[in-house]
Amino acid sequence: MLSILSTVLTFLALILIPCLFISRRLSVPLISFTNIRRLINVAASQCDEEEESGTSGKKEKQERLPNHVAIILDGNRRWAKKRGQSTEEGHEAGSRKVIKIAMDLFTLGTKTVSLFAFSTENWGRPEDEVKYLMSMFEKVLKSEIPYFQRHEVKVSVIGNRTNISESLLGSIREVEEGTMSYKDRHLIVAIDYSGRFDILQACKNIAKKAKNGLIQVEDIDENLIDKELMTSCSEFPNPDLLIRTSGEQRISNFYLWQSAYTELYFPNVLWPDFDKAEYLKTLTWYQQRERRFGRRV
Amino acid sequence: MDFTDPMLVLSSWIGQIVDFGLYLLWRFIHIVVTLWYIVSGIFEAIESYAISLGLVQKYSSIDIEKLKCLAVVVDIEAAQDVSKVIELLQWLTTIGVKQVGLFDSQGLLKKSKDMILEMVPRSVLLQETGEEGSSPDGIALEFISSSDNKEAVVKAANILLHKYLKSSHPGNDEGENVFTESHLNEALRVVGENVHVPDLLLVYGPVRSHLGFPAWRLRYTEIVHMGSLRCMRYGSLLKAIHRFTGVRQNYGKSFFLHCYTD
Repeated sequence: MLSILSTVLTFLALILIPCLFISRRLSVPLISFTNIRRLINVAASQCDEEEESGTSGKKEKQERLPNHVAIILDGNRRWAKKRGQSTEEGHEAGSRKVIKIAMDLFTLGTKTVSLFAFSTENWGRPEDEVKYLMSMFEKVLKSEIPYFQRHEVKVSVIGNRTNISESLLGSIREVEEGTMSYKDRHLIVAIDYSGRFDILQACKNIAKKAKNGLIQVEDIDENLIDKELMTSCSEFPNPDLLIRTSGEQRISNFYLWQSAYTELYFPNVLWPDFDKAEYLKTLTWYQQRERRFGRRV
Repeated sequence: MDFTDPMLVLSSWIGQIVDFGLYLLWRFIHIVVTLWYIVSGIFEAIESYAISLGLVQKYSSIDIEKLKCLAVVVDIEAAQDVSKVIELLQWLTTIGVKQVGLFDSQGLLKKSKDMILEMVPRSVLLQETGEEGSSPDGIALEFISSSDNKEAVVKAANILLHKYLKSSHPGNDEGENVFTESHLNEALRVVGENVHVPDLLLVYGPVRSHLGFPAWRLRYTEIVHMGSLRCMRYGSLLKAIHRFTGVRQNYGKSFFLHCYTD
């Protein structure tokens, strides 16, 4: 037993210590021990809330973590089909992941998490599926209000509200009002959202303000449009990282204006299978990229 | 006997050992991921050479009709080396692509427009090709920069705003009949912008980001990161285009299952 243990430890030392020196030479960026420990604790479902307040936010900024992560939740139906389950079961599995992954991201220091839950184009899906999705959104938003309040997560729902039922609108108002006072963590859920619609409604709002004399026509510029987009509710309106699961390599009308310098990551995993290990891989990949925001270096 | 101090020291040591262990673990994870990317990069390079030499049957014929409009985003550093851009365009002409939009955020390729048109055989400027948007024999090129993105939308929005303010019933009108997608498309054409949505966007640069490509046009565009322009390979280009021709988009609906042919 002792000989086996010593063999294993020797093997680990022979692998890990050279890796340490090699990674130093490669200047591989590192997240802090606090975050590593947090991640491992999260994996063991023992998240320590007390460590997240105070000066940890500043340290995380310095260590190249994305402030705003946007996720296109793709692959629920394919996941269900692979398992011989119904589309509804696929969406149910996907919805269980949503809150979990969002909380994991907040725990790691992300300030804003956006979820593309339902696009304008999704209205073209079968009526039963659309009805199921809308009732699922209503159920989740309402039932998770105490959870969001306990974890101090501000929830905002963006999108075109004209086609949404009164009962879902009621749940949306309830969750937004119940969490509006929180500042450090922001969950944005996009329901009936379209990037083009976002740009158009910004233009419409500006037009109304110009009509009412609140702004001059000469004042209209990119910054004004930025302020009128639906993401202006967030301290970090432009996502640093956009993840689309299921391997599809497009942004499908999500955050068109806001994603000019967003890192795009398209993992092959289906959304219900996206877990902490996948996000760890995403974060490692994100940290190894160099962003210049269009400027010369 | 007071056991508190030794216990505190012991727990501090244990904490430090655990921290060091986690530190090594994180380094190890980074190494593993880096090695994975290195190994997959080597395999991709080998595959790309095999494709270039015509050794992989499935890439020998591509249904290029499906690719009506291709866009290429080039990092500003890469955009300074126009010869590589010209080589890329020559490859695209060989493959049979009819329309290419070239984007760099600072407009460097726009400034080299004349040289590029001269060096790429049978190339014409997109505006000269009329409404079909493609040259029958060669390749139609469009040069795009950041000024064609948000600035253009602002100009188009101003056109719509003037139209809205001049409308006969401004009191009741919330702008529903003025601020629509088709109206903004029209206004963008008035300010000289192309509103065609590219089918495929190839990004050449260190970052997988579209770097400010006109947002309005990116709705359903497939975005593929090709790596550095300096290290571009014909085989990788062929593979990206072939993969695109196998993609079936649902456009958010569920007409048919999404699948790849390979």
